[in-house]
Amino acid sequence: MALMPKRVKHRKSQRGRIRGDASRGNRVVFGDFGLQTLQAGWISAQTLEAGRIAAQQYLRTEGRLYVRAFPHKPITSIPLETRMGKGKGEPEYWAAVVKPGTVLYEISGISEEAARMCFARLAHKMPVKVRFLRRRPV
Amino acid sequence: MAQLLPVEIRETSGKRRNRRLRERGRIPAVLYGHGLESVSLAVPSEELAAVIRHGSRLVSLTGGVSESAFIRDLQWDTFGTHILHVDFTRISEHEVVEVRVGIELRGEAPGVREGGVVTQHIHEVEISCPASVIPERLEVNINHLKLTESISLAGLELPQGAKLLADDLEAIVVECVVPAELPEEAAEAAPGEPEVIGAKEKEEAAEAE
Repeated sequence: MALMPKRVKHRKSQRGRIRGDASRGNRVVFGDFGLQTLQAGWISAQTLEAGRIAAQQYLRTEGRLYVRAFPHKPITSIPLETRMGKGKGEPEYWAAVVKPGTVLYEISGISEEAARMCFARLAHKMPVKVRFLRRRPV
Repeated sequence: MAQLLPVEIRETSGKRRNRRLRERGRIPAVLYGHGLESVSLAVPSEELAAVIRHGSRLVSLTGGVSESAFIRDLQWDTFGTHILHVDFTRISEHEVVEVRVGIELRGEAPGVREGGVVTQHIHEVEISCPASVIPERLEVNINHLKLTESISLAGLELPQGAKLLADDLEAIVVECVVPAELPEEAAEAAPGEPEVIGAKEKEEAAEAE
């Protein structure tokens, strides 16, 4: 089931603009290896879930997957063939706003080779360029 | 043993000059401590990267200054690929320092063969020890870790003279647990919209009117 917030302050949000690089959430914290974005964008809850399922199917019961991004942003759309006006559309889906450098997923408990294979499968699902990341030395 | 690291005295400062310095393969650094004046330095990036890769914390600075120094802090870029700045503190070999050290698992847990998953909860820990014996990393042997067993901070092997700086020594570093069941896909009907904070109160107030 795709992620979404339990409670929100406002039903709809403005589009916003993604500026700069990620200054937090850009390190591998929980696992040993991570998948880091190289581009900014919105990643929908469905896409995050598709990535999680792709990774989990590869991992099976080995290792552990951490999803570091959460879709906080409601994205609205207006139905097709609607005349101009009549206000903002209804919330359609939820998306995570990511900046270049954001770590999306982390894996622990498996070898680097296996983690690379797993993230390669997962990367195909992502709408932004991503790269494999190792835990930074202390 | 401390690794040799050639350094130059840096006369310039400011982000524009430091950016140019990095383009020339030098990393800006600073040396301070022991109540002496701080010195701005520049370090060759390749040699610094080799020291970091090796896991050394104690270095012997040569060239511009000749002192033993401890790598106190490293500043990385957003992607964690380039070092932007280094903090060195002056140190004498027998001085006790507080340092964060990584924890690395060694071996293969027998619990994995029984269907368990090894989960590491703590990846680094702060210790105090003489500068001459700072370990590159703390190794934890998991060759005896059976299913549902765990190793706590108290079970870590420390180098001689080192002391753990942790409040809770019973905190679990690594454990071998039974993996959680894969969640059934789309088992539940997708919920509608999330609750809007304050919307209910507004509605009730409107009804009351």
